[in-house]
Amino acid sequence: MIGDRVSLELKNSLSELSTLRKSLEQFGEALGLSSKILFEISLSMEELFSNIISYGYADDAVHWIKVAISHEDEMLIIRLEDDGIPFDPLKAEEPDCECPIEQRKIGNLGIHLTKKFMDDMVYERQGNRNILTVKKKITGT
Amino acid sequence: MEVVEKKQNGICILGLLGRLDSNTSPEFEKKIFEVIEDGTKSVIVDFESLDYISSAGLRVLLKATKELKRSDGKIVLCSMKEYIKEVFEIAGFVSLFPIVSSVGDAVEEF
Repeated sequence: MIGDRVSLELKNSLSELSTLRKSLEQFGEALGLSSKILFEISLSMEELFSNIISYGYADDAVHWIKVAISHEDEMLIIRLEDDGIPFDPLKAEEPDCECPIEQRKIGNLGIHLTKKFMDDMVYERQGNRNILTVKKKITGT
Repeated sequence: MEVVEKKQNGICILGLLGRLDSNTSPEFEKKIFEVIEDGTKSVIVDFESLDYISSAGLRVLLKATKELKRSDGKIVLCSMKEYIKEVFEIAGFVSLFPIVSSVGDAVEEF
């Protein structure tokens, strides 16, 4: 299998999303993933990455976010590592998706979508770093 | 991303092309709010050529529909790809917008 693992270091800037997307697309195409699975992975990565850059840093300095994409058996595995403030997305409050429009808020919707689309998410804090490992089943694609 | 605007019997049809993500949503937000500020109360957003949406795009639609509701206006969405409709379902947005299969059906909603 070609491209068994891809590692990226991305700046905390939204402009890096296109680099992230292209890497995911290349990796996904090499594995023959369906466009639906690839869409769900791309969306989840945009949500997690944009969360880190929006809420992770209190200063204006450039920070580097490490992204590693790999696969193991029938799972695609993505590991995100950042030096932002401690943030466990798994503990984020679930949005109320039933309430009427006037009270509807968008907060945490990205994480809600990510949890639905990914099959496994594990958060760890190691020293000053957040490490999030997400897995997506890629069987039958 | 590109937004193509058309007018039909007082209804504004905004056709989205490409990707509605964190980088392109501000452009769509600007466009749809211009339309609303111009006094348009009936807006159709045509998803036929849209390949991607994230929560950044949903945020703009929610903000716009809240704004339009205040003036008794309405947004109708149409021609969504199945995997994009799934995002609306998971987000609980299917109860906030009429979602129909074609621009023709969307016009009938007004």
